[in-house]
Amino acid sequence: MKRKNIYGYIFAAPWIIGFFIFTAYPIFYSLYLSFNKVKITADSGIITQFVKFDNYKYAFFTDVSFLNALVTFFIQLILSVPIIVVFALIISLLLNSKIKFKGIFRTIFFLPVVITSGPVINELVSQGATKIPGMADLVDINNLTKSLPLIISQPLNYIFSNIISILWFSGIQILIFLSGLQKMDVNAYEAAKIDGATMWEIFWKITLPSIKPLIVVNIIYTVILLSNFELNPISSIIKINMFKLETGFGYAAALAWLYLIFILIILGVYALFALRGTSD
Amino acid sequence: MASFSGTKINPAKFDKSQLPFYIILIPLAIFMILPIIFIFSHAFKPLDELFAFPPTFFPQKPTLQNFRNLFSATSESGIPVTRYLFNSIFVTSTIMIITIFISTAAAFALSKMKFKLKNIIFEINTLALMFVSTAVTIPRYLLISKLHIIDTYFAHILPLMAMPVGLFLIKQFLDQIPDSLIEAAKIDGASSFYIYRKIILPLIKPAIATVAILSFQIAWNNIETSNLYVNNESLRTFAFYMSTLTSNVGNTVAGQGMAAAATLIMFIPNLVIFIILQSNVMNTMAYSGIK
Repeated sequence: MKRKNIYGYIFAAPWIIGFFIFTAYPIFYSLYLSFNKVKITADSGIITQFVKFDNYKYAFFTDVSFLNALVTFFIQLILSVPIIVVFALIISLLLNSKIKFKGIFRTIFFLPVVITSGPVINELVSQGATKIPGMADLVDINNLTKSLPLIISQPLNYIFSNIISILWFSGIQILIFLSGLQKMDVNAYEAAKIDGATMWEIFWKITLPSIKPLIVVNIIYTVILLSNFELNPISSIIKINMFKLETGFGYAAALAWLYLIFILIILGVYALFALRGTSD
Repeated sequence: MASFSGTKINPAKFDKSQLPFYIILIPLAIFMILPIIFIFSHAFKPLDELFAFPPTFFPQKPTLQNFRNLFSATSESGIPVTRYLFNSIFVTSTIMIITIFISTAAAFALSKMKFKLKNIIFEINTLALMFVSTAVTIPRYLLISKLHIIDTYFAHILPLMAMPVGLFLIKQFLDQIPDSLIEAAKIDGASSFYIYRKIILPLIKPAIATVAILSFQIAWNNIETSNLYVNNESLRTFAFYMSTLTSNVGNTVAGQGMAAAATLIMFIPNLVIFIILQSNVMNTMAYSGIK
């Protein structure tokens, strides 16, 4: 038992050191800074002044932009996550079937993963390549959205104009599903088939329950992916506030922590639904 | 779902059932790949077409001028593009190798070994996964300046080494590998290092390939470290150089063409790495040896 312990630490040590110095420590340091007014000077580094919850109060009662962005982002998230996960599931089921050119299709669907981060996506978005021009302006869709109340039509518009970028986020999720599907026991299918189960029944009774853990993993992954996407509205608000003179880094850190709590709540709700929905 | 069709229980239905798959897959595939074609065609457009409205999809008069401009251009401090490219390649490959080794080792420990702090570590990792990365830049800067590694390659490499996503994915993957496999090896007298090298690493190849792609992307596309932790122009990366192309005041018109060419150059390594690793990623995990 003792030896086992030591080996565990040895294997984990390089990662733990790197992680705690360069990621965990800065994160918790930013928690400390979020209760301070932070001034950064050229020669002496930083000057902090303890202000208790002032930064957090400012976010809720004075600064309108943060709460607005949070609500907008929340709606986008609630809409995008199911679309992405269901899309990934459908594609991975299709790709797991016996069809020709499977490899090419898999490559195409995974390919967007390599461009959804960094400067390349910035360029594409700024050139408008991620939108379907005119999709939202089509007469039918326009009429449809006009006839609906704003609460429904706004999200619909968001989906129509961002469908490519939404679907682009599904690469890794497709992969995770595929690896799960391929590990499944073929015998179970054969047995079900012999017992006269239809494809539909097989999907609900055998496939879905066995990849349930992967659905949860994918939901978590998608929420994290979307919330850490560098072009999302909240990241940019945090970035702007970081270098603003009136607010400063202390406020930006407070926003980052509020944002974290917000994401945790969403994840909790999603995970609960996913676990409950498939458990019976 | 339809993988059992291949067992030929019902061969007549098999042919018919293929068609709907194509009907769904082909349009979606075209849909997904359009912007990627756009990257290619954009880089070969002459300047007047870049600004044409409505924008054309394929270049009318393809030209290599954008690339020539890019490679003959030097930044204000007189550093050639190739220097940025070298920095990027060096930093990225180092990060990839280190990330893969330390995160597989740590995931192995966290998933298959018993020690006290393991759950807490994994939970902190999951928390870090959700934290906005921009918010740690300033504390990280203070730390890096305290460690006196500003203006060195270490400032590029060290902060990105321990990727929370990497550990998360590999550990999740490892959890599905049955413990009995490792116990069997242990009974046969294998040491932990031997198990890691001979059993764990080969089994988690798909996860490693995925993490390799992710860490490559994060490192290759990273602007932040060049921007904040490195003041020496000759140590900055290509991604940083690219981001300055379009934002440089006074040079925006010519910059657009160079930026389009640079986008393609940024993108191609992503594509190459992906094509090399994808067969691994996509490979069946096979059956992990135990049924």
